[in-house]
Amino acid sequence: MAGKIVADTLEHSTAGSIATNYVVEGSAKVWTTFNGQSATITTTDSFNESSLTDTGTGRYAVNFTNNMGNTGYAITGALGSSDASYGAGWFNTGNAHSSFGHTVSNTTSSHRISQAHAVTAGNIDYTDVHSLVHGDLA
Amino acid sequence: MQTPDFKGTHLFDRLCWAKENLDGVQSDYRVVYEDSIDECAKILVPDPNWMACALQGGILPPVWVYWELAKDEAQPDFKKHTRGYLLHQTEPVGPMTEEEAIEYLIQKDVPQHVWKTWNEGNKPKMVICRKEQLPSTREWRNAWKIAEHIEATDLAA
Repeated sequence: MAGKIVADTLEHSTAGSIATNYVVEGSAKVWTTFNGQSATITTTDSFNESSLTDTGTGRYAVNFTNNMGNTGYAITGALGSSDASYGAGWFNTGNAHSSFGHTVSNTTSSHRISQAHAVTAGNIDYTDVHSLVHGDLA
Repeated sequence: MQTPDFKGTHLFDRLCWAKENLDGVQSDYRVVYEDSIDECAKILVPDPNWMACALQGGILPPVWVYWELAKDEAQPDFKKHTRGYLLHQTEPVGPMTEEEAIEYLIQKDVPQHVWKTWNEGNKPKMVICRKEQLPSTREWRNAWKIAEHIEATDLAA
């Protein structure tokens, strides 16, 4: 590919150097932001996502274009709503667990999201759903 | 815009190029499917950046690559992928129409036991529709099911 630079280390004139594998290892491999409250959910913006699956109230799957190398990746999430009555919410990800509403586990090609109201613990749709994946690519 | 020759280029690098150079395409198509009689219908929503890649061509690997990786992952002793090179070194597929892209996406992101037998049984297990054909609110979302009266001929129309 044009413009390719191969380097193992980046060095700053005064602040020292850093191995480029820190950059590669530390970069998010998948991210997405979507509205989970619209009738048909729609991705606002994303990277390395092929599709979203709406699996029920407050439950979704994020499907990847470039698989992760294993299922030991880390997922970070955030929820938001313009409706103050929604209050705090839980962002659950991960493996099959009936209380989270998941019936299947995360794979190298997709991860699950289940969001719940922090007080009632019931699954609920938030308007702003954000998800970030760090780990090794296949 | 012409897609660079990406043969042998890491898929992640191709996606970086696409993110920088292609505008996202919001598809109106949705895929509704049921993979368990005990659960509500699921709705597959294409990603706009992925759809842009599919329409552009020369970026995405053939769908069989994902099947191969899924086979590896289904092995009981699976720890990590050792054939990830299939994603990066297999020649990318050419440009698709939006309809072809939806077919590809079904074969990638819908469980195989659904799309391989979508029309076997008392009613279809999978339907491709426009988003306007879905309920207009998410009320009773956990009760959504594919209608009993849909016929395969309706689906082909």
